[in-house]
Amino acid sequence: MNYEETKSVVQEKFLSSERVTAFLCDAKVLHPEWVKKDRLLCIVEYGDEKAVFCLFTSSYPPKSFTDLSIEIVLPIDNTFKCEIDNKPSDPEAVLYLNLQSRNNKFKFEIQMTPRVDNFVDDLFRGIEAVSKVPTQPEFVWLKKYHGKDEDDIITQFSVIPRSGVAHAQNSAPVAIRESLIKRKMYDKELEYTFTKKFTVFCGTWNVNDKSPVIPLEGWLSVDREPPDIYAVGFQELDLSKETFLFDQTFREDEWYNAVINYVDRRAKYVKLEKVRLVGMLLIVLIKQKYISHVRNVVCDTVGTGIMGKMGNKGGVSIRFDLHNTSMCFVNSHLAAHVEEYERRNQDFRDICNRTRFLQPNQQAKAIKDHDQIYWIGDLNYRITDLDPNTVKQLIKDNNFEKILEWDQLKQQHKNNNVFAGYTEGPITFKPTYKYDPGTDNWDSSEKNRAPAWCDRIFWKGEAISQLAYRSHPALNISDHKPVSATFSSSIKVIDEEKYRKVYEDVIKQLDKLENELIPQVKVDLTEIDFGTVKYLELQVRTITIKNIGKLPVEFEFIKKLDETSFCKEWLIVEPYKKCICADESCEIQLKVLINKTSACKINAGTDKLYDILVLHLYGGKDIFITVTGTYQRSCFGCSIEVLVNLNKPIKDVPVGKLIELENKRDQCVSNQSTYSIPKEIWFLVDHIYLHGLKEPNLFEQPGLHSEVLQIRDWLDSGSVDPIPGSIHSVAEALLLLLESTADPIIPYNLQSICLKASANYLQCKQIVMELPEFRKNVFLYLCEFLQEALQHSAENGLDAKTLSTLFGEIFLRDNPNQIQEPQSRINKQVIDKKKAQFVHHFLVNDHSDLIFTR
Amino acid sequence: MATNRSGAAQRPNGAPQTKVCQFKLVLLGESAVGKSSLVLRFVKGQFHEYQESTIGAAFLTQTVCLDDITVKFEIWDTAGQERYHSLAPMYYRGAQAAIVVYDITNQDTFGRAKNWVKELQRQASPSIVIALAGNKSDLAAKRMVEFEEAQAYADENGLLFMETSAKTAMNVNDIFLAIANKLPKSESGGGGGGGGAGAGARRLNDGDAPRASSCCK
Repeated sequence: MNYEETKSVVQEKFLSSERVTAFLCDAKVLHPEWVKKDRLLCIVEYGDEKAVFCLFTSSYPPKSFTDLSIEIVLPIDNTFKCEIDNKPSDPEAVLYLNLQSRNNKFKFEIQMTPRVDNFVDDLFRGIEAVSKVPTQPEFVWLKKYHGKDEDDIITQFSVIPRSGVAHAQNSAPVAIRESLIKRKMYDKELEYTFTKKFTVFCGTWNVNDKSPVIPLEGWLSVDREPPDIYAVGFQELDLSKETFLFDQTFREDEWYNAVINYVDRRAKYVKLEKVRLVGMLLIVLIKQKYISHVRNVVCDTVGTGIMGKMGNKGGVSIRFDLHNTSMCFVNSHLAAHVEEYERRNQDFRDICNRTRFLQPNQQAKAIKDHDQIYWIGDLNYRITDLDPNTVKQLIKDNNFEKILEWDQLKQQHKNNNVFAGYTEGPITFKPTYKYDPGTDNWDSSEKNRAPAWCDRIFWKGEAISQLAYRSHPALNISDHKPVSATFSSSIKVIDEEKYRKVYEDVIKQLDKLENELIPQVKVDLTEIDFGTVKYLELQVRTITIKNIGKLPVEFEFIKKLDETSFCKEWLIVEPYKKCICADESCEIQLKVLINKTSACKINAGTDKLYDILVLHLYGGKDIFITVTGTYQRSCFGCSIEVLVNLNKPIKDVPVGKLIELENKRDQCVSNQSTYSIPKEIWFLVDHIYLHGLKEPNLFEQPGLHSEVLQIRDWLDSGSVDPIPGSIHSVAEALLLLLESTADPIIPYNLQSICLKASANYLQCKQIVMELPEFRKNVFLYLCEFLQEALQHSAENGLDAKTLSTLFGEIFLRDNPNQIQEPQSRINKQVIDKKKAQFVHHFLVNDHSDLIFTR
Repeated sequence: MATNRSGAAQRPNGAPQTKVCQFKLVLLGESAVGKSSLVLRFVKGQFHEYQESTIGAAFLTQTVCLDDITVKFEIWDTAGQERYHSLAPMYYRGAQAAIVVYDITNQDTFGRAKNWVKELQRQASPSIVIALAGNKSDLAAKRMVEFEEAQAYADENGLLFMETSAKTAMNVNDIFLAIANKLPKSESGGGGGGGGAGAGARRLNDGDAPRASSCCK
């Protein structure tokens, strides 16, 4: 399988509007939990938007798109980053591709091939394009590829058309409905919730690479009542290189166990979630009795450290819903160094922008999308522009207010440069940094920096009041002191009964709305009786569809099950599909025309003038429209074998008898009561013979349609009046009659033999000899008559060539039921020539010998 | 220590009810037994003594809330006249539920209902939930079909059965609720094998429910 073939297989995995612009085989994902197996990387373009997909393939190379499953989707937006490294040990052969988008980071190992250049070029074109557009692309088309399994199921269901009818579009409003319900329920929250106070303990400690060698209850178990929720954050859990590079540390368990051991013993807690990025650890515990009211626990991490993404700095977050209140806890460690407050502001913004809580089937949530946010951490803001010794003196005097005027965080917060919308309680404790570890003494190194309140706690959201905000100096193993705050927070609790009632009301309202919006039309006629319908006589009826609903309606006449067309072949419906605006109407013309094909079927009883049309309104009901009529039987469309059996006008023959004859036509033999040729053919030929042989342009000038219809009626009714109409109309009626017979005069199965034999008169004669009796009669009778006509070519202008072409087409009619290969024009000309050649023999040669063999 | 993976059986207090299953339901039965009236009563709470004859297949939606799930019905109310019989498969094919309606004052309509049940058993999805509704129970004085007879027939054929009255609303909501309760709601293709498009409900939104559970009933 070559590159292009594989590419087309990959393309099939996507919609046609989603174009695979580049792809790479042999990519390996470097991820501790993933098998290091070959994967495909491809770039897919949809409109102006591009995304990188990583696909797992069950067979290599993929033989079909079903072998492929999408594992990773990385939209190329302005969070997208791409870095390329060479493998140090093998720089020529292997490449590392680090891709990052919306906090998803993946490292791929790629074999160097010439294709890599294309791929990387395409990737950078994508990145460049994104940087140029002012608006952030939305990547709506990617939604279906996120949250693999469940979405797949939904997509599969939505592509299965309902009962094969064009009803599938109803699924779209349903999806909209779901979000509408959510939205409405959210709006009515007050109607079905009451509030309940929960106490929330938040603690933060930069442990400066220490193990928990001291008890922690002096930090974690200090409140009068055991808190309901604990959110405990650590920074600098582990400063070793290993942690930084491999993100693994034994300290996580150490500190986690220490927290578990030292939380308030009066209550029983369970872990709600914990999350760590390098040295930042956030643990959320909740009283066991509340865990069943917690849902949608999701965590995320954002690195803002080295190169703006490493995890030595940044934030880790946990979100969840407690009853009906969404809560978010963030533990962050912002940029260090005294002067770097701008950088810290930036880190805060980065954490806000890049934290994304992904939930299946839901839009990703950001930190701000929560009712309550608690932000703790070593925020690292310092005291500047104040002499360290002054600061220390003011601390000694317990004059914190004076120092706090110079606190970078207070200043930045006041100016809304950071923590806009957040609140911090009054600080009544000593700065928490920097101490000589193991003591309560200020850092004694030569730097002599001013002590600072690096460790802080902010909150955002209604109905939160802070009960305490303090530090815990006794815990002195680190150069920071731990800080904690206790909050009393109102949590919205759902009243089940009220909720149910409101929910049902909302549903009821939506059902009502939805039912009102179902398209409504009025059709003035659902039963259309065409009355008597005659052969080749077009009849038209009009029905009016009026849109009486509130929205535009799109209608379409749809196929019934297992039918290839929405109506019978003798019916034409125009328009069969249209959109009608509210209060407007649309006229639909229904036309009935019985031509030879439909006449044959009706004559044989395999079809009747009866049809039910299904008028479907998109998103709404179906209306049945019944079409009926009575076909007035005509000699047109009958078999020659039937006509020779009719010794009275067809009008006087019972329909049942006609159908019976039609179905037994193969067994028709001559007897005393059969004519040798149909009397209708004889009438027409005889009329021309008597009155029209010298008519100029005989068989070439068309007749009048109205006269042809009169002639039809004359034949069918057995009128004793003279034949109506001009010679040309009679001639045309003759041609139409010959053309309309259920079977052609030369049976379909002999046609190819005739064409083969067309150059040989003797062979042609042989074939004619073997024709079914009545058709041979008609054939010879007509040829005899045409020879007679040619006798008067001086007057009527006929020549054998013209006539043989005209009648070749009639005698050797093509089988309409045979699926014909698209004939080339030349091929058709050749066939037509042969048909003419076949007939020509019988127009120029004396074939009375054939007649006498009768 | 278990995190938030509460079981499906007991819905935790306050878990918003967001699991919605959608089902296609079709009404079948002789003309004038009250199919449209049942739907109208169920959906709009109305009743018209002279309900127009349905020429086609009317479409309405209605949602019912069960304890742990919301069921949305897409209701196709079909024309009962015999001449439209051949079009019925368009509507019951792919349906997850059917209500076959007869008129308790008319024995012929009960016979016709049995034929519909037979046809559904042969032609519809094997997992289709069929309910038999003996409508016009308010006209008990003119009763021609005995309750016991219909009940026995329903039991034999595994159908839900209720006598209903669109006029008095008796058992109208109940029969739809009974169907909603009987429908399989797992996304992995309801009961009864087959695995066609009709098997199981289309699960629309399950953001909150635990993923592992197979059925919420």
